[in-house]
Amino acid sequence: MSFARAACAAIAGMLIVAACEHPGGSGHDPVVYRHAIDGIPASLDPAHAANVYSSTLVVNLYDTLFRYRYLSRPYELAPNLASGMPEVSEDGLTWTIRLRENVRFADDPAFPDKRGREVTASDVVYSLGRHFDPGTRSQGAWLWRDRIAGLEDWIDAGADPDRRIPGLYADDDSTVVFELTEPYPQLAHTLAMALSAVVPREAVEHYGREFGVRPVGSGPFVLEHFDETRAVLERNPHFDRGELDLAAEGHDRQRHAELGLDVLDGETYPFLDRLEIHFITEPTARWTSFVAGEVDNVMVPPEQADRVLASRDPIRFTPEFERRYHTQAEPEAGFVLYGFNMANERIGHHPDEHIDRANRALRCAIRDAFDWQERNDTFYQGLGQIFPGVIPPFLDAFDPSLDTRSTDHDPQQARARLQAHGWTPETLPQLTYGLEASVHQRQMFEQFRARMEAVGIPQNRLRSRAFASFGDFSRAIGNRELDLFFMGWTMAWPDAQYALQLFYGPNAAPGANSFNYSNPEFDRLFERAARLDEGEERTALYRRLNEMIIDDCVHIGSLSRTRLHLWHRHARMLPDREMLGGYFLRFVDIGATP
Amino acid sequence: MTPGIELLRFITRKLAASLPLIFGVTLISFTLTVHLGPDPAYAMLGKNPTAADLAAMQRELGQDQPFWQRYASYLRRLATLDLGHTESSGEKVRDLLARTLPVSFLLLAPGFVLGTVLALLLAMFAAWHRSGRLDRLITGMSVIGMSLSFVIIIIALQAIFGVWLGWFPVRGWEVHGPASYLNHVTIPTLAFVLASIGYNTRFFRAMLVNAMTADHVRTARAYGASPIHIMCRHVLRGCLLPIITRIVYSVPALAISGSLLMESHFSIPGIGRVTYQAILSGDQPVLMAVVGLSAVVFAVAVTVADLLCRLADPRIRLA
Amino acid sequence: MTRGHAKQMPHRPWRMLRIDHIAMIVVIAYLAGALGVWLGLWAINWAEITGAMWAAPSAEHWLGTNRLGQDIFSRAVAATATAFEIGVLVAVASILIGGLAGAVAGHFSGSPLDELILWLKGTIDAIPFYLLVIAIAFALKGHTMAMHLAMIVAFWTTTARVVRAETIRIGQAGFIEAAHAGGSTPTRIIFRHLLPNLVHVLLIQATLVFVAAIKAEVVLSFLGIGVQDSISWGLMLAEAGQDIMAGQYMNFLAASLFLFGLVLAVSLLADRLQDRLDPRTRHLRSVGIE
Repeated sequence: MSFARAACAAIAGMLIVAACEHPGGSGHDPVVYRHAIDGIPASLDPAHAANVYSSTLVVNLYDTLFRYRYLSRPYELAPNLASGMPEVSEDGLTWTIRLRENVRFADDPAFPDKRGREVTASDVVYSLGRHFDPGTRSQGAWLWRDRIAGLEDWIDAGADPDRRIPGLYADDDSTVVFELTEPYPQLAHTLAMALSAVVPREAVEHYGREFGVRPVGSGPFVLEHFDETRAVLERNPHFDRGELDLAAEGHDRQRHAELGLDVLDGETYPFLDRLEIHFITEPTARWTSFVAGEVDNVMVPPEQADRVLASRDPIRFTPEFERRYHTQAEPEAGFVLYGFNMANERIGHHPDEHIDRANRALRCAIRDAFDWQERNDTFYQGLGQIFPGVIPPFLDAFDPSLDTRSTDHDPQQARARLQAHGWTPETLPQLTYGLEASVHQRQMFEQFRARMEAVGIPQNRLRSRAFASFGDFSRAIGNRELDLFFMGWTMAWPDAQYALQLFYGPNAAPGANSFNYSNPEFDRLFERAARLDEGEERTALYRRLNEMIIDDCVHIGSLSRTRLHLWHRHARMLPDREMLGGYFLRFVDIGATP
Repeated sequence: MTPGIELLRFITRKLAASLPLIFGVTLISFTLTVHLGPDPAYAMLGKNPTAADLAAMQRELGQDQPFWQRYASYLRRLATLDLGHTESSGEKVRDLLARTLPVSFLLLAPGFVLGTVLALLLAMFAAWHRSGRLDRLITGMSVIGMSLSFVIIIIALQAIFGVWLGWFPVRGWEVHGPASYLNHVTIPTLAFVLASIGYNTRFFRAMLVNAMTADHVRTARAYGASPIHIMCRHVLRGCLLPIITRIVYSVPALAISGSLLMESHFSIPGIGRVTYQAILSGDQPVLMAVVGLSAVVFAVAVTVADLLCRLADPRIRLA
Repeated sequence: MTRGHAKQMPHRPWRMLRIDHIAMIVVIAYLAGALGVWLGLWAINWAEITGAMWAAPSAEHWLGTNRLGQDIFSRAVAATATAFEIGVLVAVASILIGGLAGAVAGHFSGSPLDELILWLKGTIDAIPFYLLVIAIAFALKGHTMAMHLAMIVAFWTTTARVVRAETIRIGQAGFIEAAHAGGSTPTRIIFRHLLPNLVHVLLIQATLVFVAAIKAEVVLSFLGIGVQDSISWGLMLAEAGQDIMAGQYMNFLAASLFLFGLVLAVSLLADRLQDRLDPRTRHLRSVGIE
């Protein structure tokens, strides 16, 4: 009897001990999500975060004043480091932004006592001001230049961070004030870009040039490892933004039912202990890694589209893939297009009206001769969305009813135009087609040339120039050496103005207007629209501007590629690969594999 | 004079004699990559730069200085081992090299060693059975091996092992220990061995065949000594010099060129890949450091080769 | 030497000859292919889009089509012409330059001129091959001959080294001194006496450089810095790398086999040439040892 009692006591004891061993379930394995992106970020310095790869990392290591709601589409701004949306004065010239309290930078040896201090409004001012110091080599200075009162004088005087900029200052520790030279409705959008992220002065001065690989921010994660193949981020213990509010983030019961995010509502984020971001540029390797389970997500390479899709119109994944993974098909926030160099008088603007019209006819003829559907089928598996002009489908200002004749393949009309204006193989100018030396670009050139030949533009009228590096290609465009080129444009904020600026006169090369388009009427309307807030008047102006460039045949375009995403079922998230994304990583959770 | 000091003097003399070489290498490389190379300024500008932005960036990168001034400051920095920061991420070039050189070494060492040893063994078999069936077979396969392009080998191996069979990772270098190391290094090693074994076998065979005609070898054969004994003791001795020279000389060529294609294709963060990216983007600090390093490695290789030859054959004077 | 060694004659001498002849025939076939392209007889429309995307081999497209719908067989044949252009140009130029430099250096062995040439040679050797070629190709950006010039700069050194060694060896034979004593100028000596004796070395080097140039072009085009205007096997392989992802192998097989065929044939010929022309092995063979 005593033995049995002793045994019971022992068992009871063991059970009690076992129950006490893991209070609150703290003995769990680290929650790790392995994300794959299709490019390699060069630098993690916010001032250099001009592409989507750097942005993805920077927005998770640092704080920006604003961000975009997790699930809302179209994209909607939300406060991030700011405590609310900005207060804008009546005339649109004064912006007051209040900051959240108790936000701290991560601990780092750069700080005097190795502890991260609180983020203040002066940090915001400093972070923006450093873009104008030549030593920063900023890629984002253009966003705020000529917009802020007294900025140019301050720059001329040496861009000294200890001197106050009249139009950008900290009213107190948690209030930032902008005083603008003219209304700038897009300012909030610029403050949601990785380029505007807030950095501590101590770290910048401590690490100097190495700041690009030694990030010190107040974001949800801190950097643990970074090389050319991957980055490893760990949860930032000082990050505290409260709980995830799914409704506020744009959760829609119907659209997002499948994602399994409900369980995360009301939970403190970030949910991950560790975030690995793998840089896999080769499509083969990306796909293989995903299928082998080495990474948790993939942007499906176009070559694999046949395998994963059951139909293209509408886009539907095969039942097998629907069952095994989460799926998503989204148009990119950007587009690809061909552009002409309007500064070349043989094909672009010409002072003589008669010749100018003939040039225009030539450009339009080339546009008619080009076959977008063929391009779509050959290189984008037919999944791209072809649309006229440069206002892509994902924007509000997009007009589905816009005449699509400018994107139709019409060799007959091309021939007619050429004939009507006396363009023969003898009179045609020789055009320099510039391209980056990659397999796809070369093939695209050959395809383009074949279409031109089909309407009577002989091969020798189209000379190709390949550039092994993007820098050289940019330089050639900047020096106006290329007459025709294929390029992509990524939208940094969801506003058609960002695309229309490609045709704004003052932006001519080396600026964004690589086409060197110069139309005073266009510029006038563009400037008018730039001052307006979102609304009907602005949308009408945008559409008018869009029609103008279509009429003038300045470009051949455009096409928005459709991104197919797959991710493993244990990852609870809605990924976003676009420039405006990257913020989603803080809301990712890994659950048990169903 | 003690042999130690004599050795030291020899090495110093050799390295000193290499100085004009290092000077020449850096001058040529500097001219090619900095003066005539790609313009990094344009790649580093933002979306909407102005002409003033461009000028400021060019000033930052030192492009407005005359050629000789830039070259002189480069030499100065190289001499003090101030290698600067890479233009792309700002990381110290020294740290970059410290990070990537071991990876390239770990990547290439097994293939190099295995390739050389295998080639030697095959060459020995071939030379011993000269004109026989085995020799024909080995020689024939060597020529086939020499005719295979490295590119073809890499694509094929990646397709077979990575995509079809899925036995090995197709990319990356996540090495935590011996197991993961073997996992990642197998395909590159295989590729490297396949690519180099043809050339090496033929060369070694030619040397061995030459050495086998020596009198003392034929005497040993006549006396019926075992093949292994003859090979290792007599024949190898006779052609040790050219073989050593070739092996040592192939190391510098290997370090960058050998790894470049493989690292690019398999996404391995080694020095070859970094160099290639630097050439394309015009990242001058990295390029100059790599070129300087390879010049030094070459000079060292020449010295080591001479030294080994002298050790192997005391008849050669330390001229 | 002695009779005993005659027993080591090859078992089937006629077998070696067969491979030899096959290789010769193969090279001639390639050359004919290339000539046809140059003369405009065939494969001139390699860039034309004549079929559907990735069509299977058929009567119209013997090896099928690539992603754009271009005929793979035409492209492979046209690439043969490119390969010969590069191989022959680079080989001829580098043996001319290398031969001259090596002969001069060897003849004036020990002099400052020799030192200069040696220094130049060493410097170029010390720079990793691909770095050098890529850098030169970049520096001459846009120039169609950029890659060719880059390869010539890299390849002349091996020829120079071999020629210099051979020149010194010949010099030791004494008849050069005799010519010199007879009053011939250095130029005369080099062209009249040295070069004829160096022909065998140059010929062997030429074939080796030919092969090396073609193989190097493959890598360079694969990396995107090689051939720009026309088509080459390297460019086809670069395309093929992507095609394989989509399950299309014809491009890869075509380019690989064409490339492999030519390189193998020329290598075998180079082998035979070396055996026949190299005085050392020639000597060995004449007494039945080979």
